[in-house]
Amino acid sequence: MRKYETLVLLNPEMPAESSQALIGGFTGVVERENGQILVVDDWGMKDLAYPVRKHMRGHYVRLEYAAQGNTVAELERNIRISDAVYKFITVQLDDAFEQGAAEPAAAEPVAAKPAVAEPAAEPAAAEPAAAEPAAEGGES
Amino acid sequence: MSFKKKFTPKRKFCKFCAHKDYPLDYKRPDILRDFINERGKIIARRITGTCAKHQRRLTTEIKRSRQMALLLYTAVHSSEVQKKMG
Repeated sequence: MRKYETLVLLNPEMPAESSQALIGGFTGVVERENGQILVVDDWGMKDLAYPVRKHMRGHYVRLEYAAQGNTVAELERNIRISDAVYKFITVQLDDAFEQGAAEPAAAEPVAAKPAVAEPAAEPAAAEPAAAEPAAEGGES
Repeated sequence: MSFKKKFTPKRKFCKFCAHKDYPLDYKRPDILRDFINERGKIIARRITGTCAKHQRRLTTEIKRSRQMALLLYTAVHSSEVQKKMG
Protein backbone atom coordinates (compact mmCIF):
# COMPACT_ATOMS: atom_id res chain seq x y z
CA MET A 1 0.00 0.00 0.00
CA ARG A 2 1.24 3.43 -0.89
CA LYS A 3 -0.13 6.85 -0.24
CA TYR A 4 -1.17 8.88 -3.27
CA GLU A 5 -2.96 12.09 -3.96
CA THR A 6 -4.87 13.07 -7.07
CA LEU A 7 -5.78 16.64 -7.85
CA VAL A 8 -8.56 17.05 -10.40
CA LEU A 9 -9.71 20.20 -12.16
CA LEU A 10 -13.43 20.03 -12.85
CA ASN A 11 -15.68 21.92 -15.22
CA PRO A 12 -16.60 25.18 -13.43
CA GLU A 13 -20.09 25.22 -14.92
CA MET A 14 -21.05 21.87 -13.52
CA PRO A 15 -23.76 21.95 -10.80
CA ALA A 16 -22.58 21.09 -7.29
CA GLU A 17 -24.56 17.87 -6.94
CA SER A 18 -23.21 16.36 -10.15
CA SER A 19 -19.62 17.21 -9.22
CA GLN A 20 -20.20 15.58 -5.84
CA ALA A 21 -21.57 12.52 -7.59
CA LEU A 22 -18.50 12.46 -9.82
CA ILE A 23 -16.11 12.64 -6.88
CA GLY A 24 -18.18 10.01 -5.11
CA GLY A 25 -17.68 7.80 -8.15
CA PHE A 26 -13.91 8.27 -7.96
CA THR A 27 -13.78 7.44 -4.27
CA GLY A 28 -15.91 4.40 -5.06
CA VAL A 29 -13.32 3.24 -7.58
CA VAL A 30 -10.55 3.44 -4.96
CA GLU A 31 -12.62 1.61 -2.37
CA ARG A 32 -13.64 -1.08 -4.85
CA GLU A 33 -9.94 -1.79 -5.46
CA ASN A 34 -9.36 -2.24 -1.70
CA GLY A 35 -7.94 1.24 -1.32
CA GLN A 36 -8.65 3.59 1.52
CA ILE A 37 -9.78 7.19 1.08
CA LEU A 38 -8.06 9.43 3.60
CA VAL A 39 -9.03 12.98 2.66
CA VAL A 40 -11.40 14.55 0.15
CA ASP A 41 -10.28 18.14 0.01
CA ASP A 42 -12.55 20.47 -1.96
CA TRP A 43 -10.70 23.66 -2.86
CA GLY A 44 -13.76 25.17 -4.51
CA MET A 45 -13.57 27.66 -7.37
CA LYS A 46 -10.14 29.06 -8.14
CA ASP A 47 -8.80 31.35 -10.83
CA LEU A 48 -6.63 29.58 -13.37
CA ALA A 49 -3.24 30.81 -14.53
CA TYR A 50 -4.25 30.33 -18.14
CA PRO A 51 -7.53 29.49 -19.90
CA VAL A 52 -8.44 25.81 -19.94
CA ARG A 53 -11.10 24.97 -22.51
CA LYS A 54 -11.88 28.68 -22.64
CA HIS A 55 -12.66 28.88 -18.92
CA MET A 56 -10.65 31.14 -16.65
CA ARG A 57 -11.96 29.54 -13.47
CA GLY A 58 -12.00 25.98 -12.31
CA HIS A 59 -13.18 23.73 -9.52
CA TYR A 60 -10.34 21.85 -7.83
CA VAL A 61 -10.80 18.73 -5.73
CA ARG A 62 -7.95 16.86 -4.08
CA LEU A 63 -8.22 13.18 -3.16
CA GLU A 64 -5.79 11.63 -0.75
CA TYR A 65 -5.82 7.85 -0.53
CA ALA A 66 -3.80 4.75 0.21
CA ALA A 67 -3.93 2.07 -2.40
CA GLN A 68 -2.02 -0.33 -4.60
CA GLY A 69 -0.30 0.96 -7.71
CA ASN A 70 -2.79 -0.59 -10.12
CA THR A 71 -5.60 1.27 -8.37
CA VAL A 72 -4.10 4.51 -9.61
CA ALA A 73 -4.24 3.25 -13.18
CA GLU A 74 -7.88 2.25 -12.71
CA LEU A 75 -8.76 5.61 -11.16
CA GLU A 76 -7.03 7.53 -13.94
CA ARG A 77 -8.84 5.44 -16.53
CA ASN A 78 -12.15 6.47 -14.94
CA ILE A 79 -11.04 10.10 -14.78
CA ARG A 80 -10.17 10.08 -18.47
CA ILE A 81 -13.61 8.74 -19.37
CA SER A 82 -15.52 11.51 -17.62
CA ASP A 83 -15.89 14.65 -19.71
CA ALA A 84 -16.15 17.01 -16.75
CA VAL A 85 -12.53 16.55 -15.61
CA TYR A 86 -10.36 19.01 -17.49
CA LYS A 87 -7.04 18.24 -15.86
CA PHE A 88 -5.70 15.87 -13.25
CA ILE A 89 -2.41 14.93 -11.65
CA THR A 90 -1.49 12.03 -9.37
CA VAL A 91 1.46 12.25 -7.02
CA GLN A 92 2.85 9.61 -4.71
CA LEU A 93 3.03 11.02 -1.20
CA ASP A 94 4.47 8.14 0.76
CA ASP A 95 6.17 4.90 -0.14
CA ALA A 96 4.71 2.91 2.73
CA PHE A 97 1.40 3.20 4.45
CA GLU A 98 0.43 1.51 7.72
CA GLN A 99 -3.21 0.72 8.12
CA GLY A 100 -3.77 1.72 11.72
CA ALA A 101 -1.48 4.61 12.55
CA ALA A 102 -1.85 6.58 9.37
CA GLU A 103 -5.38 7.84 9.80
CA PRO A 104 -4.84 10.62 12.36
CA ALA A 105 -1.47 11.42 10.78
CA ALA A 106 -3.05 11.81 7.36
CA ALA A 107 -5.55 14.34 8.61
CA GLU A 108 -2.86 16.43 10.27
CA PRO A 109 -0.92 17.88 7.28
CA VAL A 110 -4.11 19.30 5.81
CA ALA A 111 -5.00 21.05 9.02
CA ALA A 112 -1.42 22.25 9.50
CA LYS A 113 -1.12 23.80 6.08
CA PRO A 114 -2.56 27.28 6.74
CA ALA A 115 -0.43 27.56 9.88
CA VAL A 116 2.72 26.91 7.86
CA ALA A 117 1.82 29.61 5.40
CA GLU A 118 2.07 32.40 7.94
CA PRO A 119 5.80 32.28 8.85
CA ALA A 120 6.66 31.29 5.30
CA ALA A 121 5.14 34.39 3.75
CA GLU A 122 7.54 36.83 5.35
CA PRO A 123 10.95 35.55 4.16
CA ALA A 124 9.42 34.93 0.74
CA ALA A 125 8.58 38.60 0.36
CA ALA A 126 12.01 39.72 1.50
CA GLU A 127 14.02 37.52 -0.81
CA PRO A 128 13.31 38.81 -4.36
CA ALA A 129 14.51 42.29 -3.46
CA ALA A 130 17.70 40.85 -2.02
CA ALA A 131 18.20 38.61 -5.03
CA GLU A 132 18.15 41.43 -7.60
CA PRO A 133 21.29 43.40 -6.71
CA ALA A 134 23.13 40.18 -6.03
CA ALA A 135 22.55 39.11 -9.62
CA GLU A 136 24.88 41.72 -11.10
CA GLY A 137 27.56 41.40 -8.46
CA GLY A 138 27.48 37.63 -8.34
CA GLU A 139 29.88 36.99 -11.22
CA SER A 140 32.84 39.04 -10.07
CA MET B 1 39.06 52.72 1.85
CA SER B 2 38.53 50.22 -0.87
CA PHE B 3 37.58 51.16 -4.39
CA LYS B 4 36.77 47.67 -5.56
CA LYS B 5 34.04 46.72 -3.13
CA LYS B 6 31.53 49.48 -2.63
CA PHE B 7 28.94 47.13 -1.23
CA THR B 8 28.83 43.53 -0.25
CA PRO B 9 25.75 41.81 -1.62
CA LYS B 10 23.65 40.06 0.97
CA ARG B 11 24.66 36.47 1.32
CA LYS B 12 22.20 34.21 -0.50
CA PHE B 13 20.83 31.13 1.18
CA CYS B 14 18.54 28.27 0.29
CA LYS B 15 15.14 29.09 1.72
CA PHE B 16 14.10 25.46 1.82
CA CYS B 17 17.19 24.51 3.82
CA ALA B 18 16.86 27.45 6.20
CA HIS B 19 13.22 26.75 7.03
CA LYS B 20 12.63 23.03 7.22
CA ASP B 21 8.85 23.40 7.25
CA TYR B 22 8.80 25.79 4.29
CA PRO B 23 6.54 23.88 1.92
CA LEU B 24 7.96 22.93 -1.47
CA ASP B 25 4.81 21.70 -3.11
CA TYR B 26 3.06 22.07 -6.45
CA LYS B 27 -0.13 22.90 -4.53
CA ARG B 28 1.44 26.14 -3.25
CA PRO B 29 1.73 28.37 -6.33
CA ASP B 30 1.99 31.40 -4.03
CA ILE B 31 5.40 30.20 -2.86
CA LEU B 32 6.54 28.84 -6.23
CA ARG B 33 5.79 32.24 -7.74
CA ASP B 34 8.87 33.63 -5.94
CA PHE B 35 11.05 31.36 -8.06
CA ILE B 36 9.73 32.29 -11.50
CA ASN B 37 10.08 35.62 -13.24
CA GLU B 38 7.22 37.69 -14.59
CA ARG B 39 7.41 35.82 -17.89
CA GLY B 40 6.93 32.55 -16.05
CA LYS B 41 10.49 31.31 -16.50
CA ILE B 42 12.16 29.42 -13.67
CA ILE B 43 14.86 31.58 -12.09
CA ALA B 44 18.37 30.09 -12.00
CA ARG B 45 19.61 29.00 -8.63
CA ARG B 46 22.69 31.19 -8.94
CA ILE B 47 20.27 34.09 -8.58
CA THR B 48 17.82 32.77 -6.01
CA GLY B 49 20.46 30.96 -3.96
CA THR B 50 18.50 27.71 -3.76
CA CYS B 51 20.69 24.67 -3.18
CA ALA B 52 21.04 22.03 -5.91
CA LYS B 53 18.93 19.45 -4.13
CA HIS B 54 16.01 21.79 -3.62
CA GLN B 55 16.30 23.39 -7.05
CA ARG B 56 15.82 19.96 -8.63
CA ARG B 57 12.66 19.43 -6.61
CA LEU B 58 11.57 23.00 -7.21
CA THR B 59 11.64 22.63 -10.99
CA THR B 60 9.49 19.50 -10.89
CA GLU B 61 7.02 21.13 -8.51
CA ILE B 62 6.80 24.22 -10.71
CA LYS B 63 6.18 22.05 -13.75
CA ARG B 64 3.48 20.08 -11.94
CA SER B 65 1.88 23.30 -10.87
CA ARG B 66 1.89 24.53 -14.46
CA GLN B 67 0.20 21.36 -15.64
CA MET B 68 -2.66 21.94 -13.24
CA ALA B 69 -3.07 25.60 -14.33
CA LEU B 70 -1.98 26.82 -10.91
CA LEU B 71 1.05 28.55 -12.42
CA LEU B 72 1.54 30.16 -15.79
CA TYR B 73 3.61 28.67 -18.61
CA THR B 74 4.06 32.06 -20.22
CA ALA B 75 2.74 35.57 -19.67
CA VAL B 76 2.72 36.44 -23.38
CA HIS B 77 1.24 34.01 -25.88
CA SER B 78 2.59 33.99 -29.40
CA SER B 79 -0.96 34.20 -30.81
CA GLU B 80 -1.49 37.47 -28.93
CA VAL B 81 1.82 38.88 -30.12
CA GLN B 82 0.90 38.13 -33.71
CA LYS B 83 -2.46 39.82 -33.24
CA LYS B 84 -0.76 43.00 -32.03
CA MET B 85 1.71 43.02 -34.91
CA GLY B 86 -0.93 42.38 -37.59
